[in-house]
Amino acid sequence: MTAKLNVVVIGDNALADVLRKLCSNAEGVNILDKLPGQTSLHVIVETTNDDLDRKRQNLIQAEAYGNSDTLILTTVLGITGTEAASWLRNPSKVVGFSAFSTLEKASLIEIAPALQTSETFLEQARVFFRLLQKETETVQDEVGLVYARILSMIINEAAFTLMEGTAAARDIDIAMQKGTNYPQGPLAWADEIGLDDVFAVLRGLHREIGEDRYRPAPLLRKLLYAKRLGKKAGAGFYSYTVEGEGT
Amino acid sequence: MAITTVGVVGSGTMGAGIAQIAAQHGFQVLLYDIQEEIVNRSKSNIDQQLNRLADKGKLTSAEAADIQLRIRTTVHLQDMRECQLVIEAVPERMDIKQSVFLQLGEYCSGDTILATNTSSFSVTSIANVTPNPERVAGLHFFNPAPIMPLVEVIRGIRTSKDTIEALVAFSGHIQKTPVLCQDTPGFIVNRVARPFYNEALRILGDRIASVEQIDRIMKQAGLFRMGPFELQDMIGIDINYSTTESVYAGFFGDSRFRPHYFQQRMVQSGRLGRKSGEGYFAYDR
Repeated sequence: MTAKLNVVVIGDNALADVLRKLCSNAEGVNILDKLPGQTSLHVIVETTNDDLDRKRQNLIQAEAYGNSDTLILTTVLGITGTEAASWLRNPSKVVGFSAFSTLEKASLIEIAPALQTSETFLEQARVFFRLLQKETETVQDEVGLVYARILSMIINEAAFTLMEGTAAARDIDIAMQKGTNYPQGPLAWADEIGLDDVFAVLRGLHREIGEDRYRPAPLLRKLLYAKRLGKKAGAGFYSYTVEGEGT
Repeated sequence: MAITTVGVVGSGTMGAGIAQIAAQHGFQVLLYDIQEEIVNRSKSNIDQQLNRLADKGKLTSAEAADIQLRIRTTVHLQDMRECQLVIEAVPERMDIKQSVFLQLGEYCSGDTILATNTSSFSVTSIANVTPNPERVAGLHFFNPAPIMPLVEVIRGIRTSKDTIEALVAFSGHIQKTPVLCQDTPGFIVNRVARPFYNEALRILGDRIASVEQIDRIMKQAGLFRMGPFELQDMIGIDINYSTTESVYAGFFGDSRFRPHYFQQRMVQSGRLGRKSGEGYFAYDR
């Protein structure tokens, strides 16, 4: 891969915006606004997590624009890479990755081959993320992979704690920062990530693994219905009336 | 009633830390344990800690000496009657805690605030052995108590608002950040932190990623200061496991808190973490 990689990012969540920004800043990556007609397409990145029907349509449509060499990277926040790959004519080109919109601050990103993925495409995924200045850690395919799964479960527990009136949002966040050195309070963290992506992980784990353990907190579900998706929406667990200030 | 003298019942790691921090912020402290030998050893450990702070220049030697003088010791629980606040930090056994509170209820006036540093028991059930349960609350410090900035102030079913307010004010006086919490299993921190360990163990057990990978990912992708496995090694895998067991039991077996058999196997193997030279990782003794 000597020439620039032509990359298209599909999705309208906060993570898609961050990935587009990382691509624009990367030498060796040429970010395209939309699926191209003529130019050859090297990497397709699909980031939809809340609406799996749309994700499926996006992936099927995108595959048609690529050729046999096009790498298809899909988020595996709400689904396994293996299921997403099963929707496509050539599933061996699909590699799953997991990240939240806080990706900019991270030095590492997790990727996972679907059961159908070929080694060639897995290696291409590593090369692509290296161009974005991210190390990769290759783990096995499951909803959310490691970080997004563990953090979503912490946020879910914080949401139950809040919903049950055990403590106030502010106190829960202070407690986790000062009592056990978390880099952020889980509720403020969720607001920054976007509650839609956090919910997608929990719903995906609950559906795929089928255990009560992964049941999303009812409060989280209601915030989503109310479109309180976090900071970007002006409200989530906190409201953000003044720029950057939660109340 | 203004708090001037603080009683600390139990002179182990937590009790000693609480006594030290209270004395450092100007309170008279009365430190109790069941035997003179135990409480004297604890007092000399505290004295050494303070001397060390003086050596590092964090205190003047005159300040260190004053603080040391403010901590007195006793083996008579009835001496706690001179305190306006008594903080219990005895071993985490309900029979011991209830016996202490039964006696404190007898010796101390109805105005004395009685606080428990329990991390796993119901504050309500400890309070209820005293004649004034409205004066009883949880005051949960984190280890090491002189350094960790948080205290959870826990309101039992019968705890009064005045008691909570007095403990919030006291927390401020010893420069800790108080958070308010209802009397529920694991309170805030030990409950909300469970998935950090439990879900990591599940991911490991399901062979999605290795111990090393999970720790690396949580630090480099998640920006946590420590990974879930090195943190268990630091806390002690046995301690971490028993916290999980207690929160799981407290929620009557809710699967969100179900312990993982592999963590139990680690405890059974005697590889408990740093303190035994090996846990998930090996350490130089």
